[in-house]
Amino acid sequence: MFKRNDDKITASQATIFLTNTVLGAGILTMPRSVTQAMDSPDSWITILIGGFVIMPVILLMVRLCLKFQGQTIFEFAGKIVGKWPGKILCLLLILYFIIIAGFEIRTLAEVGLFFLLEGTPIWAIVLPFIWAGTYLVSGGINSIARVYQIIFPITILFLIVSYGFSLRIFDFSNLRPSLGDGIMPLLKGLKSSILIYTGCEVVMIIVAFMENPKQATKAMLGGIAIPFGLYFLTIVLVVGGLSINTVITSTWPTIDLIRSFEITGFFVERLEFPLMVIWLMQMFCNFCSFFFQASLGVSQLFKVSYQTMIFIMVPLIFLSTMVPKSRQDLFALGDAIGMMGVWLFLLTTVLLSLVWWIRVKGLKQHV
Amino acid sequence: MSAVIKYIPDWIIFIQAFIAFSVPLLLYFLYTKLYHFVGKTPSPNVNRPNEKKEPDEVNVPFTGSFEKDMEIIQELIGGNCDFRTREFTMAKLNRRAILVYVDGMQNDRLLNVKVLEYLMFEATAEDMGLPLKAAELLPFESLIEAGDIGAFNRSVLFGHTGLIIEGFPKGLLIELPDGANRAVTEPVSEALLRGPRLGFTEVLSENTSMLRRQGFTDQLVMKTYRVGTRLKKDLVIAYMKDIVNEDLLREVDSRIEKMNMDFLAESGYVEQLIEDNYLSPFQQVQNTERPDRVINEIVAGRIGILLDGTPFALIVPATFTMLLQSPEDYYERWLPSTLLRMLRFLAAFLALMAPALYISLISFHPGLIPTELAITIIETRQGVPFPSLIEVLILEVAIEILREAGIRLPKPIGPAMGIVGGLIIGDAAVQAGIVSPFLVIVVAVTAISSFSIPTYSAGFTLRLLRFVGMIFAAVLGMYGTILFFLLMCSHLTKLKSFGVPYLTPLTPYRLQDWKDIFLRVPFTLMKKRPAMFKTRNRRKST
Repeated sequence: MFKRNDDKITASQATIFLTNTVLGAGILTMPRSVTQAMDSPDSWITILIGGFVIMPVILLMVRLCLKFQGQTIFEFAGKIVGKWPGKILCLLLILYFIIIAGFEIRTLAEVGLFFLLEGTPIWAIVLPFIWAGTYLVSGGINSIARVYQIIFPITILFLIVSYGFSLRIFDFSNLRPSLGDGIMPLLKGLKSSILIYTGCEVVMIIVAFMENPKQATKAMLGGIAIPFGLYFLTIVLVVGGLSINTVITSTWPTIDLIRSFEITGFFVERLEFPLMVIWLMQMFCNFCSFFFQASLGVSQLFKVSYQTMIFIMVPLIFLSTMVPKSRQDLFALGDAIGMMGVWLFLLTTVLLSLVWWIRVKGLKQHV
Repeated sequence: MSAVIKYIPDWIIFIQAFIAFSVPLLLYFLYTKLYHFVGKTPSPNVNRPNEKKEPDEVNVPFTGSFEKDMEIIQELIGGNCDFRTREFTMAKLNRRAILVYVDGMQNDRLLNVKVLEYLMFEATAEDMGLPLKAAELLPFESLIEAGDIGAFNRSVLFGHTGLIIEGFPKGLLIELPDGANRAVTEPVSEALLRGPRLGFTEVLSENTSMLRRQGFTDQLVMKTYRVGTRLKKDLVIAYMKDIVNEDLLREVDSRIEKMNMDFLAESGYVEQLIEDNYLSPFQQVQNTERPDRVINEIVAGRIGILLDGTPFALIVPATFTMLLQSPEDYYERWLPSTLLRMLRFLAAFLALMAPALYISLISFHPGLIPTELAITIIETRQGVPFPSLIEVLILEVAIEILREAGIRLPKPIGPAMGIVGGLIIGDAAVQAGIVSPFLVIVVAVTAISSFSIPTYSAGFTLRLLRFVGMIFAAVLGMYGTILFFLLMCSHLTKLKSFGVPYLTPLTPYRLQDWKDIFLRVPFTLMKKRPAMFKTRNRRKST
């Protein structure tokens, strides 16, 4: 009864899906990586530019997807560039997703070990987390989107409240001078300010699941606008609150910002613990997105059942979690993931769009 | 190359990866096995030819001969000690007749006397002469003809008064059963300050009449089913013909038809036989004693299920938010109702999470609480020899036992025992150094919060899950508590009640339906029925 097509999600769900896929551990480290690359307080301008660079990327992806309604990239890539090239492309994408999933959990485990559970073996944090993710992901995209919709308001509300309290140490002079070193630092930081949007490839999967693909453009732009806005807010508040020297030397600058003030007379005096605990949920969402995409990708590429793939993904993700040996490795991996993201974007979106355009418009083929 | 080899994890990691792989797989197989094992109820539609016909299906037709019919009836049911007969002669007709009934099931003695008086002295040949017209001419309000002796016997034993007249080849059932009943009282499990004081009773006809009396309409449909394979009972589903979704109706119909149980003692049986997921801790069917609640839900597009013999009606499909809503929300003005509703959500959260939060804060992250408070708590815990999980378990289990005992205690000593149990044991436990005073506060707040849930059965779920949450918290602290919350959310999103996702209308966001979850907006703004049931007629008012 009520035969609602359970693979479909509404526009608001798609928006939040994209937001949650992009918004993960990045927000905790982003101010450092961007500021480090630039060494100037102008990072907020870079974030703005990065946001305007990422918008057309999203638009391009949505346009490509709308040509193949109801199909994910795993299904239509083969149709554009031929079966085997398409498969290789998708496998690269899947590998990329597995690596990010591992990266997210590892970051979470590092943060968790550092702040919450000192002395706990790392597998004790990682394993339950992957298992909980398995349970959610096995419910399919609809369940995932629903959980996102429950968790998203909680995490964002808490983040905003914490930021609101941090205004008391906000000092505008930390953000000045603007453009003191000219344009060059902006370009240096541009790379890291685009890398924080890793995961936006999910667009090419969720558009296929939308109940109403006509709203796809709006929903996806909205989905990228939320992290964009939050990143902007974060960089302004963190740099403004801590000054760039502190930001560059801090491992988790966002947490350090919240840590650097106390609210006396409130039930919790310091907000960084609650914020981190709440942010765990956001990282869970983030991880589940990549878990879901990787499982879905393999199951669609090789016509294996989705449920089986989830179980097979579990050890793979676990291994990819455990590969980095130290926190330095982890951050290096984070940068590498960003670069992979750019290359994959060139390979998948740009290449596929080009080939499609040449074949349909140039050679008048029917794809 | 060597750089890559350096990063290949060692064999312990691979063993852990294998564990990571096998545990969910194992759980999955266990779950599916268990699910199929529990769900393996034989369908009644399957014919089992080698089984004998049910013994109560005797279909002996009336012979028409007075003595012979009576002989058969006596032989079949005459052995019962409460079986009574009263033989008499109809004076004007000069025929013999007999009244058969079961002792104690006709309360109205006066009517009995009148019936006898009429039959013995007034019934004339004209009235009774034509056998076919008997039913039309006899001055009884309720008169059913029983075609065969089996059906006649069953009805007599159920409380009808049977009448057999010489030369008339049918049994007449002239009076409805009227056994001992309870008076209509206020619903005990769902008391309200404001609102009707009417609660369902054990009699189905009274319950349906209570629903009918809610308002004039010809759209309220009540459909009867006979359920139970051995002791049959009446079950009624009630819905608004012009509102209910056809598919939902069909689904409810088919699930009720599929029930296979020899006797359904209470609507809880029905609930458990028709629910979607019997391994879930969440109830997927709402139960209530209040007719006003049932009619409200029916008008919103849901379906009510009433069973004979129980004051608890069922409402399907149920969703999560229903568990925290009370009819009073709509009777009071919207501002206080909104406040109360938010308070209830908070209470539900506390009832579920408070002990888990206590454990994770005390054992894992005392730094989270303000320093002075943390010092005080730790000081008071100094004499406590147990880890916080054991400490919480001691008091939580004690409270649960108190609650359970409180239900069974005789009314006059109930409150007294509550005071003895709650206050004295709590105080003594602190004095004896078994638990810390702060924990007594936590447990008391938890217990009080769980009483503020409007539906009793929903409270069960929270009580059950509270213990699960405590174990998670004891193992992994705050991280475990968050994992528990995430797992619960994941489970809830997968759950469905009659095809309606359990978390609608919380997700997906539908602004229309959100007016009635955390808030209760003024009625002027609630012009549409909840979208989740896909009702036929969306508008409530124009």
